[in-house]
Amino acid sequence: MIAIPFSALVLGFLVVYVLLPPVPPRWADYVAIAIVAGLDAFVGAARNWLERRFDEAIFISGFFVNMALAALLAYFGDKLGVDLYLAVLVALGIRIFNNLGRTRALLVTARVEARRVRPAAPSE
Amino acid sequence: MGTPRIDGKHWVAPMTVVCLVLGGMLGVQVHTQQLRGATQVGRQTSALVGMLTRNEAQVEQQQEEIERLRGVLSEYEREAASEKGLTRLMQEELHTTRIALGTVAVKGPGVELELSDSTMRAGGGFGDQDVYVIHDFDLLQVANELWCAGAEAVSINGQRLLAGSPIACSARLIEVNKVTVASPFKFKAIGDRDKLMSALNIRDGVLDRLRVLQFPVKLMPKEEVVIPPISVPPKYEHAQPVGKEAKQ
Repeated sequence: MIAIPFSALVLGFLVVYVLLPPVPPRWADYVAIAIVAGLDAFVGAARNWLERRFDEAIFISGFFVNMALAALLAYFGDKLGVDLYLAVLVALGIRIFNNLGRTRALLVTARVEARRVRPAAPSE
Repeated sequence: MGTPRIDGKHWVAPMTVVCLVLGGMLGVQVHTQQLRGATQVGRQTSALVGMLTRNEAQVEQQQEEIERLRGVLSEYEREAASEKGLTRLMQEELHTTRIALGTVAVKGPGVELELSDSTMRAGGGFGDQDVYVIHDFDLLQVANELWCAGAEAVSINGQRLLAGSPIACSARLIEVNKVTVASPFKFKAIGDRDKLMSALNIRDGVLDRLRVLQFPVKLMPKEEVVIPPISVPPKYEHAQPVGKEAKQ
């Protein structure tokens, strides 16, 4: 089942890479920050899913809105001459690491518990 | 994966949408960065290397051109020299002038001197590694010592030193005649061998100072030293001769 989103990722990459022209260089930074925001939403979703409070509405809205906001904030920072870009990057970076750490902890715990309950069955 | 199963597959559709968008954005970004690398020279080493190679090829080409033109010139001179009198005198003067200008290779007795960075490393005695590398001022001092001892022609790593040849430090590299040179630095000098040797070996002179810090110093007198011509002779844009021809 994981194959569908994954192939969508590859498909999206290839279609845009091959067919569409690149954005102007001065927009590249905003696209980059938007990608980081997207990654953040992604990792956040993974964590929520493991904690059994995943909600597709929150996921979808968070993904798009955060992306837009991150890029917008960076853009305003540039207009104001303040490196808000960095602020966004640091904030998102910390969040991504937190969520990754939490995800890993949840995965490990789940594994350990699965082993404790059924020692014979190999956890899948 | 050891993920706990949760109800249904309602995550597949939103995940697919998000992945599609994320993949697309990654695509556009990778594409942009690649083009950026190709056009924005400043950040890309590969682009700089490309430029360097192109420039080097160009320099080589132009040196060949200079070589060719010199050949033509010497042919003219040979023809002129076969005539007599004034042209012959002028010919002799031209000869001296060309040595001074460094447009011809010269040979004669002299010395060769090789300097390398010190074998000592920072941390032993003094704190800073800067103490143990050859600097532009070391080369300047040696060159000056050679001129003082009556050297008639001097080169460093194949770069002919002339009046107005810069020896300068540029971003941790040494440039002689605006060409980067690196350790080991090979001096060649034509002149009175004994004078040159003793001038360099003078007590507490530049070589003594370097030897104390364990810089490898190789100094040897030579029967014959060949010193190459300068690759690009100086141009005179601002200076003009004052004399009969001057119109003031």
